[in-house]
Amino acid sequence: MASPESESLTGMTSGEAREFHRIFMKSAILFTGWAFAAHVLVHLWRPWLFNDGSMTTSSLLDGVKTIATTVTAMV
Amino acid sequence: MHKIWLLFDPRRVMVAMAVFLFTLAVLIHFILLSTDRYNWLDVKPLVAAEASVEMTRLIT
Repeated sequence: MASPESESLTGMTSGEAREFHRIFMKSAILFTGWAFAAHVLVHLWRPWLFNDGSMTTSSLLDGVKTIATTVTAMV
Repeated sequence: MHKIWLLFDPRRVMVAMAVFLFTLAVLIHFILLSTDRYNWLDVKPLVAAEASVEMTRLIT
């Protein structure tokens, strides 16, 4: 018979859940930090925010507009 | 907060997150590669990149 402690839906005990949660959160924060650093580097290279238009228009925005136009035409 | 793992199976959550994040990352990377401005494999000077966009617009 299952002990009262392991009667959760996943069969995990509270201690196991706590231990897993610690590793999970550490990994999630590391992943987010890594992604954030990458975004900072790319933004330094070619910014997409606070672009006053003196730089150039973003071809990425052109791509989004094209997709939006296509989707709108399909609907 | 850790009690979430008593409700959701950690293995399923990890597999789902891995699949979702990988798919999203691949999608965004390919979208960026398809643009002139953010293609990091075929880097063009900003002026030239914008000029080529303008040329494409004129041709089409």
